[in-house]
Amino acid sequence: MSTDLGRVRRWRPGQLGAVIVAALAIAAIDAALAAAGDRVSRGTQALVLLVPVLGAAVVAGRRAALAVGIVAMVGFSLVLPPVGSPKVRLADDLVALAVFALVVIVIVVTFVAGRIEVLNNVERQRRLLLRSVSHDLRTPLAAIGAAASELAEGNHVDDNGRAMVELISRQVGQLDRLVANLLSLNRIEAGALKLNLQPVDASELVRHVIDQRTEATDTPIDLRLAEDLPTVRGDFTLLGQVVVNLVENAIRHSPPGHAVEIATAHRDAYVEIAVSDHGPGVPVDQRMAIFEPFRSGGNAGTSGIGLAICRAVVGAHAGTITAGAGADGGAIFTVRLPV
Amino acid sequence: MPVPTEERSSPSDSLSEPRVLVIEDDTALTTVLAKALAARGFSVQVMATGQAALEAASVEAPDVVVLDLGLPDMDGIDVCRQLRAWFANPIIVLSADGDEDRKVAALDEGADDYVTKPFSMPELLARLRVALRHRRTSAAVAADGVIALGDLVIDVGAHAVAAGGAPLELRPKEFELLLLLARNAGRVMTHGALATRLWGGPAVHHTESLRWHVMHLRKRLGEGAERPRLVTEPGVGYRLIVSS
Repeated sequence: MSTDLGRVRRWRPGQLGAVIVAALAIAAIDAALAAAGDRVSRGTQALVLLVPVLGAAVVAGRRAALAVGIVAMVGFSLVLPPVGSPKVRLADDLVALAVFALVVIVIVVTFVAGRIEVLNNVERQRRLLLRSVSHDLRTPLAAIGAAASELAEGNHVDDNGRAMVELISRQVGQLDRLVANLLSLNRIEAGALKLNLQPVDASELVRHVIDQRTEATDTPIDLRLAEDLPTVRGDFTLLGQVVVNLVENAIRHSPPGHAVEIATAHRDAYVEIAVSDHGPGVPVDQRMAIFEPFRSGGNAGTSGIGLAICRAVVGAHAGTITAGAGADGGAIFTVRLPV
Repeated sequence: MPVPTEERSSPSDSLSEPRVLVIEDDTALTTVLAKALAARGFSVQVMATGQAALEAASVEAPDVVVLDLGLPDMDGIDVCRQLRAWFANPIIVLSADGDEDRKVAALDEGADDYVTKPFSMPELLARLRVALRHRRTSAAVAADGVIALGDLVIDVGAHAVAAGGAPLELRPKEFELLLLLARNAGRVMTHGALATRLWGGPAVHHTESLRWHVMHLRKRLGEGAERPRLVTEPGVGYRLIVSS
């Protein structure tokens, strides 16, 4: 992937035109002044040099060309003796000043804005890169997932083989969620988390997420979903990702055979989604820290960004997410979203 | 037994071997799709670009199209729009997770259904079957102003609905909603498409009232083996499905 890091900003035709018009206006005033005096004014001299300076900067976009041009122009115009009457000299100095101002503007725009543009380019390329990485990762994942499901479906494999094929399906699901999390983290970090708001029924959301789960695990999932919940204004996909991350987290920390529970409820001005497990729980001193990115407590199989994404998404919905403990010491993650 | 990645059958109306056009540029995925669909009695044609697919569709007139939204030469949504200008059979869209806006855009451009990657073959096959079944039902009811879906009968002219032989009392908006969904049975109707046609306004203002009407309509429709189900497509819209 090529970058424009070594170059400065290229001028657009409109901007270049504005600079040229300004230079011509100055030249016209300058010509009048020159006619009043008996020799070429400082402003005209400066202007004569302005053209190659601008040209060099625009065509080459190189710092060195611009720097040499400016030094030559300033030096040359200072060396020239003043001309005409005091009034004409004053006007001449003002014109020369205008020329310098124009040059300064050109420099500032060329380099400072160029810098900003370079930064924007880097950011844009980062986004494009992530987008294409996500596409490039997901395309083979889709083929692997479809092939594995097809193998599991027919009489292609024996029971042993089926177990292997199901493992492949599970891992495909996990990889895909990881890609989804990385993409979300990228959007959150770039401050580009745009919510596609619509009325969301939390119970419907949880049911949808659980229905979408294709892989079988040893962990049963108990749903205790309130009917007739008031809706919250939220982004269905992002909130779904929050539920997915919490459920995957709970399953990961559950002893085999123990259920993960998901409950929804309406409390005061909030709709609550609580995901609890019967695992070892979260130590009190880590209940804030686990929402920081890359803080999965050395647990294998996690990227440590799932909970960070949960917090960012819930926060963007003006809600809260907390970690607590159930009666048997298992973890309870509670999301509260304003109605 | 090796199965060729591209199979064609002579154009025919035989529903025993439905012809599916797969528009997807990833050869690994098309290989899986072609083999799996062929094994289930589909006649499969694969096209890797939008342009080639549009030409192929005009020649072969497939029974159903599976369309990936990320194509090398054209936006999948444009392919959907151009296809829909003349093509009446179902279009099922393949989209990546997180591409919700594009998925909804494709549905608004006339796609019938969507499957999110990575998907399982049983999932895609189920969608294909629903799409093909409804293509036949809608073809059967088009003519005389009476729509029959399962044991639900809608007399469009008389504004009357009967379920399992018993008349249903529906409010005007509920009737309009049911009619819209019934005329597009099997298709996912987005919030936007429904809101525009029911209220003439953008979805943002009407999603909540739409939800409310759907809830009531669902209660009035009731349940039964032959009764069409009003299914929520969370975050996208609704559709009416006739039980198989």
